[in-house]
Amino acid sequence: MTVESLEEFRARARSWLADVGPLEVPADPDARFDVLRRWQRTLFDAGWVGLAWSREAGGSGLTHAHQLVFVEELVRARAPQPVGLIGLEVVGPSIDRYGTDEQRRELLPRLLSGDDIWCQGFSEPDAGSDLASLRTRAVADGADLLVTGQKIWTSWAHKAQWCALLVRTDPSVRKQAGISYLLVDMASPGITARPIRQMTGDQEFCEVFLDEVRVPRRNLLGAENEGWAIATHTLGSERGAATLRRRVELEVALEDAVDALRSRGTLGHRARAAVGRAHVAMRVLDAQTRRTTERLLADAGPTPVDSVDKLVLNEVEQTVFAEIAALLGPLRAVPGSRPAGLGSGRWAHEHLYSRAASIYGGSSQIQRTIVAERLLGLPRG
Amino acid sequence: MAEHDDLASAVDDYLTRTYDGDRRRKLLDAGGWDTRLSAELADLGWYSLAVPEERGGIGASPADLGRVFMEYGRHLVVGPQLENSLLPALVEGLTPDPAGIPAALVDPGVTHDWVDDLGTLALTGRELDGTVDAVRFAVQAGVLVVLVGGTVCLVDPDAPGVRIEALDSADPGTAFGRVCFDGTVVRRVLADGGLVDRIRAWARLLLACELSGVARGALDRTVEYVAQREQFGRPIGTFQAVKHLAADMSARSTSLNNLCLAALADADGVSDADLDLISATAKAHAADAAVQVCEDAIQLHGGMGFTTEADVSWYYRRALALRGWYGDATELQHRIGTALLTTGSPR
Repeated sequence: MTVESLEEFRARARSWLADVGPLEVPADPDARFDVLRRWQRTLFDAGWVGLAWSREAGGSGLTHAHQLVFVEELVRARAPQPVGLIGLEVVGPSIDRYGTDEQRRELLPRLLSGDDIWCQGFSEPDAGSDLASLRTRAVADGADLLVTGQKIWTSWAHKAQWCALLVRTDPSVRKQAGISYLLVDMASPGITARPIRQMTGDQEFCEVFLDEVRVPRRNLLGAENEGWAIATHTLGSERGAATLRRRVELEVALEDAVDALRSRGTLGHRARAAVGRAHVAMRVLDAQTRRTTERLLADAGPTPVDSVDKLVLNEVEQTVFAEIAALLGPLRAVPGSRPAGLGSGRWAHEHLYSRAASIYGGSSQIQRTIVAERLLGLPRG
Repeated sequence: MAEHDDLASAVDDYLTRTYDGDRRRKLLDAGGWDTRLSAELADLGWYSLAVPEERGGIGASPADLGRVFMEYGRHLVVGPQLENSLLPALVEGLTPDPAGIPAALVDPGVTHDWVDDLGTLALTGRELDGTVDAVRFAVQAGVLVVLVGGTVCLVDPDAPGVRIEALDSADPGTAFGRVCFDGTVVRRVLADGGLVDRIRAWARLLLACELSGVARGALDRTVEYVAQREQFGRPIGTFQAVKHLAADMSARSTSLNNLCLAALADADGVSDADLDLISATAKAHAADAAVQVCEDAIQLHGGMGFTTEADVSWYYRRALALRGWYGDATELQHRIGTALLTTGSPR
C-alpha cells in the first residue's frame, strides 16, 4: 500500500479544517475542557489522531512527517490541540512500545479517542529535577500493589481517567533500580487530586495524594523495578513532540502579533525593535528545529542535542513573548484593552506562561549540566 | 547537502594542515595582510568559487561561500577574504586576481546608524566626489568597487583625484584606509538596479557565517582549556558554574551555526527583499551571539584570556570588529521590524 504524499495529506487536512470552521472555546475551565474533549473526538472520528501510530494500536499507520504536517495545519488554522496531549505525546508512545498486547488493546484506542484522559504522575514535592529519588511507594499485597505517596505538577489529574505513575517498589537498591511504572485507574479508592492555581489563573496541574491505592499487578508497564528506562522513554517522547509543536505555535503567535501591530501602526520605534528581536529569535528556533525534525524522522532516539534544543526553545519562547508583552505598556494590567492593536489579555497570559518553559520538562539548569557533560565531554565532578 | 559538507571539510583539512598557530599569529600581528596567503588562496581557486563560469569561475552560488567563511572564522583566517571572494562573484567586470590582490569595497552603507560618521559620496555623471573614512584594505586594493546611492562604480586607485591614506586599525584582521575622491572619473558604471542591495546582503550573510565560525573556535578552545586547567585539585570544568557557562556558549554557538546554515539554504534564488531579510536576521543574531560566546570564553580562561597569549582574546577582538560591519544587532533588528511592520506581507 502506498502512503499518501505529504502534499496531498496537507491539502486534505487544510480543507477538512476549513470545512469544520472555527471552534468556540468557552472561558470557564470546566466547559472549556468538555469542548476540547469533544474536539478530540471529532478529530479522532475523522482520522486525524494517532497519525503515526500503528493501525493495530488504533492509529492511522502514517509517518511522523504526516503527524508534523497535521500539527502545523491545526495550529495555522488557529484550532486548538486535542485535550489529551499527555496521553498522545507523552504516555501513549511508551504504552505502545512497552505495553502487553492486552494493555495496548484495552488502553490505546480509548486514549486516542479522548474517552480516556491521561495524566503523568512523575514529579513529587521532594523529587523534581532529581526525579529518581521519588518516594511514593508500592508494596505487595497478594496479587495487587498498595500505593501510598504524593505527586505534584500532575497536569489534568482532576480530569483524568488514568495515570502513568512512577513508584518505588524496592527501596533497598540504587535509586533508579527500584522504580516501577504503573498504569493506575484514577477512579481507584484512595486517590485525591487537588488542582493548583497557576500565576496565569489557569488550573491545569494538580497535587495528587495516594493513600493505599490498590493497583493490580497486571497494570505494571514493563517489569517490576524496571520502570526507570520506560520513564526515560516517556520524557524523551515529550521533548521531541513538544519542541516541534511549540515551534509552530510560536511562529503563528508572532504572526498574529505582527498582523495586529500592522493594523494599528502605532508605537513606531519601539514596536519595530521588538518585532525585529522577536523575529530573529523565531528564525533561530526555526533553524534549530530543522535538525530536530531530521532526527525525529530518522528515529534517531534521544541525544544530548535535545538539551540544546530545549535551551534554545526556552530562550526563544521567553524572548518572543517578553518582546510582545512589553508593547502592552501600562495596559498590560487591563485584559480587555487593545494597546497598539494587541489583545492585552492574550499576550499577558502568553508571557506569564512562557516563564514555565525553562522549568518544565527538565529545568534549564539540568539541561546545561547534560550539555556540558554529555555533549562537550566535561568531566563529572 | 553532502557536497556542501565536502567543501567545508576540504577547506577545514587544508587550513588545519597549512594554517597553524604560528602562521595565524604572524598574520594577526601583521594586521591581516599577507600577500603570500592571498596568492595561495587565489591559487587554490577559493576566490573563484562563486564567480560565474563565463567569467572564468567555478560557478557555485554565493551561498556556497558561507561554509568557507565559517571555516575562516573558526581558524581565524583574516585578511581581505570577503572582498576577494564576494566582489568578483557579484560584480560584472571583475575577475579574481591571480595573485590575490583584492578589490576594496568603498561603501558608506556598511552601517546605518553611524553613516554620518563614515562620510558621503556623490556621483555626477561619471564624476565621483566625497570621502569614506573607513575602507577595508583600501591601500592594498587593485581596484575600488564604489557604492554610491543605488549605483555600483569601478574606479582605478591611481586615477586622478583619488587619494588613499592608511589608517591605524584595531581589528587584528583588517587594514583600513581612508578613500577620498575629488572629481574622479570612474572607469565603469554598472546599471544593475539591485546590485548595491545584493552586495550588502551577501556581505552581511558571509560576515554572519564568519562570526559563527569565530564563536565555534572560541568555544572549542575554551572546552579544551577548562578540561585541563586545574584549581582546588581538579579540572575547573568539573565545577558547575563553569559547566553552565560552557553549556550556554555551546547552545549559542550551535544555534548560530544552524541559523547560518538555514539562511544559506534559504538565500539561493530568493527575491532581493527576502535576501535582505534573511541576511539581516542572520547578522543580527551573529553580532550578539558571537560576541557573547567570546566574552564567556575570556571569562573561563581567567587572566590568561585577557592576554594576547590566548587565542580567545584574538577571537574576541575579531568578533568585536565584525559586529558592526554591515549592521550590529540593534540596527538590524530595527531594519527587520521595519520591513515586517511597514512593507510587503510578513513571512
